[in-house]
Amino acid sequence: MELIIEEITRNNKLLHRHKLDKPSIHIGRDYHNDIILTDPHICPSHISINYINEQWQVTDNQTVNGTFIESSKEKKQKANQHIVRDGDVITLGNSQLRLLFTDHAVDPTIAFSPFESFINLMRHPIALFISITFFTLIAASIIYFNKPIEVNFTQLLVPAIGMTLGFSLWPAGVALVSHLTKNDARLITQLAVSFTLFNLMWFSDILKNIVTFNSASNNILPIFVTFTSVILAFSLFWLNSYIGFHMSAKRRMVVSASLTVLLFGGSYLVQYSKKPEFDPRPHYNASIMMPSFLLTTSSSVDEFIEDSSKLFEQTNKEALKK
Amino acid sequence: MKAFFTLVFILLSNSSLAAEQAEQLFNQLKPSLYQIKLIDKASGEKSSIGSGFQISKNGIIATNYHVISSYALHPKKYRIEYLDGDGNIGLLALQSVDVINDLALVKRKVDSLNNDERNFFKLSSAVPHKGEKLFSLGNPHDLGMIVVPGTYNGLKKESFNERIHFTGSINSGMSGGPVVNKQAEVVGINVATSGNSIGFLVPHDKLETLYQDFLQAPPESIEHQMAEQLTANQNKLMTEILNSPWQEKPLGKHGVIPIIDVPFIRCWGDSNADKTDALILTAVANCSLDENTYLSSQFFTGSMEIEFRYMQAKDIGANKFYHLYQQQIARAGSGNRAGKGNVTQYQCHHDLVMPDNQTINNKSILCTRAYKKFPDLFDVLYLSASIDKHKQALVSHFTIAGVNQKNALAFTRKFMEAVSWN
Repeated sequence: MELIIEEITRNNKLLHRHKLDKPSIHIGRDYHNDIILTDPHICPSHISINYINEQWQVTDNQTVNGTFIESSKEKKQKANQHIVRDGDVITLGNSQLRLLFTDHAVDPTIAFSPFESFINLMRHPIALFISITFFTLIAASIIYFNKPIEVNFTQLLVPAIGMTLGFSLWPAGVALVSHLTKNDARLITQLAVSFTLFNLMWFSDILKNIVTFNSASNNILPIFVTFTSVILAFSLFWLNSYIGFHMSAKRRMVVSASLTVLLFGGSYLVQYSKKPEFDPRPHYNASIMMPSFLLTTSSSVDEFIEDSSKLFEQTNKEALKK
Repeated sequence: MKAFFTLVFILLSNSSLAAEQAEQLFNQLKPSLYQIKLIDKASGEKSSIGSGFQISKNGIIATNYHVISSYALHPKKYRIEYLDGDGNIGLLALQSVDVINDLALVKRKVDSLNNDERNFFKLSSAVPHKGEKLFSLGNPHDLGMIVVPGTYNGLKKESFNERIHFTGSINSGMSGGPVVNKQAEVVGINVATSGNSIGFLVPHDKLETLYQDFLQAPPESIEHQMAEQLTANQNKLMTEILNSPWQEKPLGKHGVIPIIDVPFIRCWGDSNADKTDALILTAVANCSLDENTYLSSQFFTGSMEIEFRYMQAKDIGANKFYHLYQQQIARAGSGNRAGKGNVTQYQCHHDLVMPDNQTINNKSILCTRAYKKFPDLFDVLYLSASIDKHKQALVSHFTIAGVNQKNALAFTRKFMEAVSWN
């Protein structure tokens, strides 16, 4: 008869797993034991688990600190003479052991997420190189477009590379955290996925600009486009945690959603706190683009005047509020 | 030789005569001159000072609106006091104002039993002739009443509301003091200076009108009276602007802009054609109304600014041109000063607009804010940027302060149709 004994932490994390095939198993601190534990609160010959009458029975060898059965429902029970059931957790000293039988049921196999193939594609060295280069180029071109003076290639490249390095701090940080929490770091994969999503965010920005450029202030389409950046941020956090950490699907959703809320809610709060009580300057959307991005037909002066006349009514109402 | 002596003698006697005249006038008029102080009730100290002069037997004193403006807007916070030539101090009550011409009438309590009746200034019945010698009276910088001789130089041409151009040094604190001719008749009221002995006066007939209106029907509420005056003035101004000829004028290679042909709107121009390293060639024309109605130190209205900007890319692509172009139009501000208590925040509307002339396609933005104390008056800001001219662009922009909705929209419509491209 075989018994599986798992050394676990107090948070149920597995440290070691032993599979033993003998009728009498000795556990303790000295070296003749079958399982040797280093916990100083454990006695040299702490317990023995014996196979008697087709049952496993725990025997406590009159130890200093005792042996207990962990139970979520009841109080701690002394483990001496306890008949082992599948999945029992016993505490000796500060350590915990989980006892399992060979017929213990395991969780169903988790199929690869459809993202797995996407992740594998992205972390291919060529794909990684392309997405980082692409990111740097877009950063450089944005710097170029907004500089009101003439600039040479190095003047663009240095801040663009700086920006790329700055953005790579995020995936590096995530990889570091997953390494520290005893998960696989997978730095390359984190980099690849993050930069792919950063690039998608540039695109959603451009899309947003095109939509705002082409729509009047009473159009709601730009608000919908704003949602794409929220969705992209959520996807980024979801993929980061999928790659870096083992957690349940539900927990992953909660973590990514919280990070997204923290990012957008936080930046909203920062903006809101900076807003002065009274601003004498008007705030309007002045986004203009090249004529080739012009997709809609223009309104007539009459339509513009009519829409504008509503402003007068709105501000008048505002003025009457004391 | 004899002729020379005679000449010198005449000159000497003339100048001594002038000095004598000034002294005589000053002594004669001094009792009816006052220093006017606005006292902050909480601190008990003066918050602004000016001059004033009595114009009726029963104690009506004329001064500038801007001297007592804080009281007109916050009557609970201040009180108005006078200080006369003999050092007497007393309270004054605000009777009527003319914000457009910066005039106010306050009243001193006259005790007729106590023989407190004084001389008062008479308003002139005629307009002075150019070059006539005038005397400005007032209390500059709290230094005591003085008299400043100067000359009448006609009406200021560029001004929508008439102002006399007076050559003579008017200083702050003299605001509200009278300007008299040799006969001691009031021909104007000190109101502003632009330094170097150029001073501006409100013509006496404005005061005459205000006083006569006051005698017929004193205003029920000063705030209401101000609102009416502002509304009437913007109606008069906008009607004249809308009915004046708008001349088409080229700007840059292809831009066509309207120039409103009225004397009180003056235009200036500039360009960066001399800057060889500029990426965009820019030519700017701006026109403005030389008028600013003072309501309080934090609140001005009645101004108008119009600006046109023609831009042409030199050695850059269209994408970069439009990025830089957007930066240029991203931060337009209001043309007048106004605070939280005076106006609401701006609200804006933007759209792509092609006027009926079909020559230009614009991104147009209109922002407006309403006045809190004066109903149906708004500050309006309009900004329009062409988006269909490849590597060239025309920006048209205006701000108007203190107009009603109807005039604002009529002006906007006419302005939008007047900007074109050929």
